Amino acid sequence: MHHALHIKNGIVIDPKNGVKAEKMDIFVKDGKIVEESEVKGEDVKVIDASNKLVVAGGVDMHAHIAGSKINTGRTMRPEEMRVVRNIANKFRAAVGRVLLTSPAIGYEYAKMGYTSSFEAAQPPIGALHTHEELDAIPMIDKAALPVFGNWHFVFKYVEAKDIEKLKTFIAWALERTKGFGVKVVNPGGVEAWMYGGNVKSLDDQVPSFNVTPREIITSLIKAVEELKLNHSVHIHCNRLGVPGNYETTIETIKLAGGFSNDARQVLHVTHVQFNAYAGDSWRTVSSGAEEIAKTVNSMDNVTIDMGQPIFGHATAMTGDAPFQFTLHRLTGARWSNKDSEVEGGAGIVPLVYLPKNPVHALQWAIGLELGLLIDSDKVVLTTDYPNGGPFTEYPYIMAMLMSKKMREGELEKVSPYVQKASNLPAIDTEKALEEVIHMTRSLPARILGLPQKGHLGVGADADIAIYNLNPLEIDTSNDFEKVYKAFKTAEYTIKSGRILVKNGELVDEHWGKTYWVDATGKVDMEAIKPDLEDYFKYYSVELQNYGVEERWLKKPERIVI
Amino acid sequence: MIIIKPKTEFVVTVEAELTPDLAEKDVEEIKKFKVYYGKDVVELGELFEVTKEGDDKRLVLDGDFSRVKWIGCRMSDGEIVVKGSVGANCGAYMAGGKIVIEGDADDWLGAEMKDGEIVVKGDAANLVGCAYYGDATGMSGGKITIEGNAGNYIGEKMAGGEIEIKGNAGDFIGTEMKGGTIIIHGNCGFVGGDMKAGEIKIGGEFELVPTFVKQEDAWVGDVNVKGEGVVRKL
Repeated sequence: MHHALHIKNGIVIDPKNGVKAEKMDIFVKDGKIVEESEVKGEDVKVIDASNKLVVAGGVDMHAHIAGSKINTGRTMRPEEMRVVRNIANKFRAAVGRVLLTSPAIGYEYAKMGYTSSFEAAQPPIGALHTHEELDAIPMIDKAALPVFGNWHFVFKYVEAKDIEKLKTFIAWALERTKGFGVKVVNPGGVEAWMYGGNVKSLDDQVPSFNVTPREIITSLIKAVEELKLNHSVHIHCNRLGVPGNYETTIETIKLAGGFSNDARQVLHVTHVQFNAYAGDSWRTVSSGAEEIAKTVNSMDNVTIDMGQPIFGHATAMTGDAPFQFTLHRLTGARWSNKDSEVEGGAGIVPLVYLPKNPVHALQWAIGLELGLLIDSDKVVLTTDYPNGGPFTEYPYIMAMLMSKKMREGELEKVSPYVQKASNLPAIDTEKALEEVIHMTRSLPARILGLPQKGHLGVGADADIAIYNLNPLEIDTSNDFEKVYKAFKTAEYTIKSGRILVKNGELVDEHWGKTYWVDATGKVDMEAIKPDLEDYFKYYSVELQNYGVEERWLKKPERIVI
Repeated sequence: MIIIKPKTEFVVTVEAELTPDLAEKDVEEIKKFKVYYGKDVVELGELFEVTKEGDDKRLVLDGDFSRVKWIGCRMSDGEIVVKGSVGANCGAYMAGGKIVIEGDADDWLGAEMKDGEIVVKGDAANLVGCAYYGDATGMSGGKITIEGNAGNYIGEKMAGGEIEIKGNAGDFIGTEMKGGTIIIHGNCGFVGGDMKAGEIKIGGEFELVPTFVKQEDAWVGDVNVKGEGVVRKL
């Protein structure tokens, strides 16, 4: 096998390094991108990429790909498991319509030229399960973000205004769960759900604790910034899926105002589409995207991702248990509730997005509005898989952002309600190819704090996608079908220097790394020991049995802070 | 008409979506029809003897087909006559035509069938006319007649059509039923759980879930789901 590659004559777009559609060669050795001189005299495999687009492998910073939620979703949706994607032969059997099995997730990402994906909500007590499942996903690099926003420890330290202990607890929790960063889901609201309720504003008191969502969020941002974790606080806002919630979203975004970080944002607000509704009921609901876009564009320390719905099948699964119950009552679909002891909860509800349904069409329009109105340096392309639909339709979103003509065609197929309730029909913006590449590669890599990902500079991981698209010739406004088709299946997907996909077909299997962040060196772990011992009286597991040992992971990659 | 005979006793199950459409092809083509034998894809001719008599859209399955699944799946017209017993999923998603089974039928007979007719001269197993797991609607039209007995789960999520069982049946009759008719001449177990609409008529003894309201000549429920299904004595 060759351990060096020469990708010849490709047209490279590499936003991080300022390369805008230039014909150049890329050299790879031992899984990294290197200078030409490094491969001299080596047994080099040459890939002819003439007239083809060469970019970094895609980075999905927010998807639900492993853990108890997706697995419960699979269990309760046997009808999702009838689409056969791969028959066991050289590769593993892979099935799934939108909810995919673990191998199918890896294979489908790879076929599309994506090489990293982050599980966006790991129930801490379910860490072992999550990692077992991540270890069953081939092809890609991955990591998981444990949820902190409803954990009793967090409430306790926020209540006591003890940022030092909060930092220590975060470091302890990331180490125990082999987590990558701090996810917050409906802070305080899921705890209120334990009593059948929810929180309705940033200043509602959490039942039994003298804290509010506002205090939880700001304390966590402060702690994460003092710890200097790779990734910022990653928040699923309060009041998700409620008409009128865009105001809460804006208030939440503004909480980042007092913080700064030279390398990245201090707050990432996720799947904002679900939190961008104006109006006061589902009858009067309209888009709040424009106001949110103004707020995000005016700040230099906040990023978002879209949470774009795709028409067709989806499964709503979030750590926002009260929202899931509301959705179940709204649609009458099946519902499953998960409870993670004193850490939070989750719910799962099957869903179909129908173009003729006014609310679904509006959701679809809002996602695109966010993608179009927000600076390309602040918005990442996601579907919040599988909440908004399959990640395999990212090429659809990419093409839509680049072509008004395509959007006009699609607008004709959806409910006319979007014409009055959103501004999408009036938006003329067409993103450039470089911008969309940035939104799917270099931007999510920067937001996650992974300098070796999302670009093709020397020293970067050799995660490369080659598409059958010539950026020097393509007219992205008019040839949207060609754009969609090109991004749907990569000509080549190269992961850590190995060719995994050729002409859209799997040719090799690879087991990616699992990143986790070790911040224990920055805190005094003894400081929270008595608290841990005290709280673990209420857990169903003993403290010493809690968590995941590094040696249990297939390919752990520890990032020491 | 084509006649298909198993060459041997099958060690593992065969999955063969045999429909009367096959009868319109010539014998050599029929022999090349792809079926699964366990995990292997093989040609029909490797497992079965195929002979052709005339051009009518009729399939005669001569022998024991109790290990052959998916017979008549998605068929829309013509006739299948099985001289022995059939395996699971016979007549699944069927949209028209007729299947006559002279022996017994296995699970999932006529699952999610939309139209057409199935007659079983012997017994049927479980899940007759049901929805596949995860789907919202079972049998929605057509008729299934079972001369003998049937197992558990009859007409789950059924929305239309008729199932008639001349003998006895097991538990969970018409669970989550939303339309159509189930007739059981003999005895059966629990009837009508979460039934929303439709009618169940029973000749013998049966057990009704407690959430049904007694009216003049019938019980109406399941009130648990605000249902207006009707259960009555034949």
